[in-house]
Amino acid sequence: MVKNTFIFVLLVGFVFLFFNLFADFTGNTELNKLAGHYAESGHEEVGAANLVTAVVVTYRGLDTLGEVTILFLSAAIVSFLLKIETSSTDDRKLRTTSEILDTASKILVPVIFIFGIYVFINGHLTPGGGFQGGAIIASGLVLILLAKPLRQISQKLISIVESISGLSFVLLGVAGILFAAGFLDNKILSLGEFGTIFSAGLIPIIYIFVGLKVGAELSSIITNLQENQNEA
Amino acid sequence: MVGPLYIIAIALGTAFSLGFFKKANRNIPYAIMFLAIAFMTFISGQWLYAFLANQQEAIQIFTAGFQPPFSISLQMGLHEAVFVSMINGIGLLSALYLYEQFRDKGVQMMMVFILLFMGLNVIIMTRDIFNLFVFLEISTIAIIGLILLEKKEQAMSSGFKYLIASGIISGILLIGIIAIYYYNGTLFINDIISSNPLLLKGGSVAVFLTLMAIVLELKPFPVNGWALDVYESAHPGVGAILSAATGTAMLFVLYKITPFIADPWFNMIATIGIITFIGSNLLGIQQENAQRLLGYSSVGQLGLIMLVIGLSPYLGDNYLFIGFTLLISHFLAKAGLFWIAGIIKQKKIKNWSVLRKTPLLMVLFGIFILTLLGFPPFPSFFGKWELVMELSNNHQLAWIIAILAGSFLEAVYLFRWFGYALKKEIKETTSKIQFSKILPPFLFGITSLVAGYYTNIFQGDAYTINYLPLALVLIITLIDFISAKIKNSLAILAMAYYGFLTLPGLYENDFIRFIFMAIFIGGGILTLIAGYAYQGKRKGFYPAALLMFAGLGGIIEAQTTLQFFFAWEIMTFGSYLLIIRGKHSIKHGFSYILFSLGGAYLLLMAFGLMNAQVGMQISALSDINTHLNLIFSLLAIGFMTKMASLGLHIWLPGAHAEAESDVSPMVSAILLKAGVFGLLITILAMGAEYAQHSTLLYILGWIGALTALVGNLAASFQEDAKRLLAYSSIGQLGYILFAYAMATHLGWVGGFVYVINHFAFKAVLFLTIGAVVLRVGTHKMYEMGGLIKRMPLAFIAVLIGIITLSGVPPLSGFAGKWFFYHALISKGWYFQGAVVLFAGIIAFLYCFRLIQSIFLGQLKDNHRKVKEISIWFIIPIYTLIIGIMIFSARPHWILQPISEYIAPYFGRELTWNGSTAIAEMGYWNGEWIMYIIGVMFVLILGWLLYTNAKAQKVKQFNIVYSGERPFTPETTHIAHNMYAGYSKALGFIVEPYITKLWNNMSDAIVQLGGLTKRIYNGNGQTYAFYIIAYIVITFFLVF
Amino acid sequence: MENLSLEIVTLITGIALLLIGIWGLLTQKNLIKMVIGFALFDTGIHIIMVSIGYVKNRTAPILDQAVKTNQAAEKIVDPVPQALVLTAIVIGLGITALMLAFVLKMYQKKKSLEINNFNDLKW
Repeated sequence: MVKNTFIFVLLVGFVFLFFNLFADFTGNTELNKLAGHYAESGHEEVGAANLVTAVVVTYRGLDTLGEVTILFLSAAIVSFLLKIETSSTDDRKLRTTSEILDTASKILVPVIFIFGIYVFINGHLTPGGGFQGGAIIASGLVLILLAKPLRQISQKLISIVESISGLSFVLLGVAGILFAAGFLDNKILSLGEFGTIFSAGLIPIIYIFVGLKVGAELSSIITNLQENQNEA
Repeated sequence: MVGPLYIIAIALGTAFSLGFFKKANRNIPYAIMFLAIAFMTFISGQWLYAFLANQQEAIQIFTAGFQPPFSISLQMGLHEAVFVSMINGIGLLSALYLYEQFRDKGVQMMMVFILLFMGLNVIIMTRDIFNLFVFLEISTIAIIGLILLEKKEQAMSSGFKYLIASGIISGILLIGIIAIYYYNGTLFINDIISSNPLLLKGGSVAVFLTLMAIVLELKPFPVNGWALDVYESAHPGVGAILSAATGTAMLFVLYKITPFIADPWFNMIATIGIITFIGSNLLGIQQENAQRLLGYSSVGQLGLIMLVIGLSPYLGDNYLFIGFTLLISHFLAKAGLFWIAGIIKQKKIKNWSVLRKTPLLMVLFGIFILTLLGFPPFPSFFGKWELVMELSNNHQLAWIIAILAGSFLEAVYLFRWFGYALKKEIKETTSKIQFSKILPPFLFGITSLVAGYYTNIFQGDAYTINYLPLALVLIITLIDFISAKIKNSLAILAMAYYGFLTLPGLYENDFIRFIFMAIFIGGGILTLIAGYAYQGKRKGFYPAALLMFAGLGGIIEAQTTLQFFFAWEIMTFGSYLLIIRGKHSIKHGFSYILFSLGGAYLLLMAFGLMNAQVGMQISALSDINTHLNLIFSLLAIGFMTKMASLGLHIWLPGAHAEAESDVSPMVSAILLKAGVFGLLITILAMGAEYAQHSTLLYILGWIGALTALVGNLAASFQEDAKRLLAYSSIGQLGYILFAYAMATHLGWVGGFVYVINHFAFKAVLFLTIGAVVLRVGTHKMYEMGGLIKRMPLAFIAVLIGIITLSGVPPLSGFAGKWFFYHALISKGWYFQGAVVLFAGIIAFLYCFRLIQSIFLGQLKDNHRKVKEISIWFIIPIYTLIIGIMIFSARPHWILQPISEYIAPYFGRELTWNGSTAIAEMGYWNGEWIMYIIGVMFVLILGWLLYTNAKAQKVKQFNIVYSGERPFTPETTHIAHNMYAGYSKALGFIVEPYITKLWNNMSDAIVQLGGLTKRIYNGNGQTYAFYIIAYIVITFFLVF
Repeated sequence: MENLSLEIVTLITGIALLLIGIWGLLTQKNLIKMVIGFALFDTGIHIIMVSIGYVKNRTAPILDQAVKTNQAAEKIVDPVPQALVLTAIVIGLGITALMLAFVLKMYQKKKSLEINNFNDLKW
């Protein structure tokens, strides 16, 4: 109990810290210089209608490469970690899944996959993008596994998709150095007509790979967890 | 040139494509990964070369083709190039080192590994603060992945703790970054700097949070429990990466964002740094687990460098030099030590004695320990030196004291460890060592040496060090596998050559230095001759001995305080290696090095204070005008640790008594003179005017007198012959201290007589007793006796030695007394003089024992066939005796020039007329005394021989105790506990009060460490609590 | 309460969520609950990030019929924090997944979810 009091006092101190941190916070009434530049010239420089995408994929493309890498790392470590043998003697008894779930998954999964693909292909135009699309695809996979918990998903396929899309992302980035103004420059391809699907240069292509990669990475984490449970 | 972005592209491309090889033979992906890291190293190396060779400006690399702040930009300049080269270099060697682990664990770990290094590269190069966050996360997660390389029970829970802790820290960092963005409207580091981020209160809190997160990533004490667990449980190869690579990168980040902050915050960083440095070194002292110990040491070293960053406002242009030399030393040494830990696979530091099975590893271990501690000739030595000098120039004495205290604590556990490795029994043997594992530490060891050399070159002409003696030491180390006889000859040759180079010049220019150099080199050669008596290879002896003599020579040759301190440390370490060679010397060597280091740090502080006023020339010491008392006291105490003055003497008896037979004279007759020399130049610098009214010298005088008394008294109660001689050294050095403290012409001439005499007779006595011990196999005097019959030459040597020692005419000891009492009277130190006189009488007691117990009386049964001492001892002993004779008969050869040398400093009290010394109260002619006493001696001897013929012989142990025969008849003999009566009367003086005092002090420190370590309760939640508490508390302290 | 505009409300919500997360992390002994605490902490930060990018009375930074390219600078909120939060969410996801995997393994090893049972290394 004494400890909880300490923690409470500490959190009060933390609140005070936040109070100071945001003492001068008044909210914005207009964009700062950086954001203003994106708002004004973003559509000419990058050609993406979704300015967040423009920032994520092009202006701050290196961050995105980094975050894909983090997912990749997590997936690799999780898969390694879960393969470490532990002496477990738990018996896992599975209930059979209900007819409704089974049937619904068969109908819904293709739809979910297509929706995911739609989300990442249109990432430069509408809210969405590679991460969102990838997460949707992975959620389709979760549905499959809920319906059939013992189903084997090919790790090899996931791994190959992951590797190819990751490698493509890096190669496209390098192509930016070689054929355009810098690493991850999207102007290798023409910017196209603003607001259409074939616009914003390399962004849709990069987002396709990001979507595939994120989908693969999340799937890898999920299937690893599932396999680990099945073995246990 | 290949652009730095390709480092990222190659690492990522490799990591992603490794996925194709999941089922393949693991050597293929390993080869790919290795090539990738090699190529990354190549890229960074070529940039480093370009910057070093062409001095070109840093280049900016824009991503996506836009200028910052609109896009993320990287920077490649000299600093970045140095750091990425270091990181990639250690990455390459780590990849090699971890080959087996990668092969066993598969591709995933290879991916994690290469991504870790990519992350660290970007952290260093990026100029975007959010990008920094992203890649920091990459390297953090990757480190957690690598923890799993080791299949230990605890790896899992320590990984979880690490995750929780770094999760919170990165959250804090994120809040800081986003708030910085809000207040400054940019994420580009250069723009943040120019927009003055501390202007608003909220903005400064934002910077504070960012700063705290980065500081927490450097694991400040006491908020670092999770990191220590990882150091302990992860594979040592991973420990090396975490400590050397990640730590280095994080320090660079801290360096990168320091332009955000203003002066008062530097104090905060410095405070965090010093608490970490002292705190973790304190905890290191009671740590037995090697890897965890290395963890504490890593944390401590990072704290030290954090401290340097925090103190940067005081360090001026030298800031980067100091920071970098300390960093590179930590980098090389810590990685090397972790790698060695992985090779020998010994958890407990006590079992590190297995290192001795592989001499190369032992040498590397030594190199790394010294590099960490800032010993010469390694880079950190120069870094610490400059640190102290700059702080002193800015009057930051408190910081100096704190830094030296932390360094001392670090030395305590590192030398304890080193001592274990050198001396503990070897319990098990190591398996075969692969080339891939030994290559990385080997390369780092070499780099450490080379880096030290170039650090010194970089400093410029004022810092020139004579590396020739060290080169000789290196050569003799490399040929350590050959027979001792050859090495002995080479060592003698080397010493002779060194003498040939230096002595003639000194004779012309500086007679006092000439005397000391002659003692060091002449004594060195003579004692080395005794080394021919040893068989076999005597591994490790010659490097140690030559190191010591190189240091001793360097002390004399030094023109600047830096050269002096350099040589002083070399000498200290060499003598430590010699002392610890003795059979039971593990603890004596330990206490010797601790006292020496403590003394050395005082010297360093004094040199710093002096440097702030008059610079580094030793000759300028006399020009200082403020802090006189402080500087002189620090110097005096520092030198007195080497002279073993009362209070600082407790290391000496054991160290000298347990040393090998030819080492004892080296460390007694020769080494102690280094302290004397230092004291001498200190007092010379004071000048007569200061000296006359100096309380310090008055105190030194009393200490000298009491040292003489206690030393001699303690010597009388010893049963062990070598221990007796060791205590006698303490006493003799007491006289010398006393004589120099008088700071008068007569006192100093007397002091020199004592110095020369002590050198000669202590060498004779230690060599003779040592040689006798080699023959009879015991140190105990009561187990000897009657050896005069078997070893007449040894007997004569000891006799002459003690005649010189006790100051009986005709030998030169009397000359010492003559000057001494004259000086006493003219100085007016009567009380002290009485103590010294009393001490002189006591000296007779132990001198008598040496003769009586060892050589007179009945021969013991088991010594009936013992032979005369070895010819290799007789040669140096009798050479020295001839020297004593010449000095006794022709004292003016040496004393007259000395007298002339001193006169200008303290005023003339003495004139010479041929061999006659004339003082106010009388005159003395050594030559005539020699003749007179010689005649008397022959007459008495003749009479004794005549009467002795009539003596009746009695059988040994002709005694009966109530019909029982005692089990150890020797102890019933008078030779055992000879002065029991005196002991009852005066024994209280020599009770080991001082030893107890020091023991209590060290116990207190250990207990403090024991209490403090309880903060590391192993609970991940508590550690999370510490993090939050640390931030909040620091916040309230700063704002 | 005129001052209580949208960004202030979300900011306070974010901070509150963050504090609740820390409270959970520091007081709950169950490993899973600790991970949940961390996730809350992380989410709180994300909300703070978004609210910092908000500009009064403006819309999402997507150029379409509602927001013409020439008047974007007057109509949209700051896209940068939104981009950053996207990255931050993904990173948080990666860390949380990793934490859960560790918890799973720790549980399998000791059959316990109590943090106090995992104090093997100390001092």
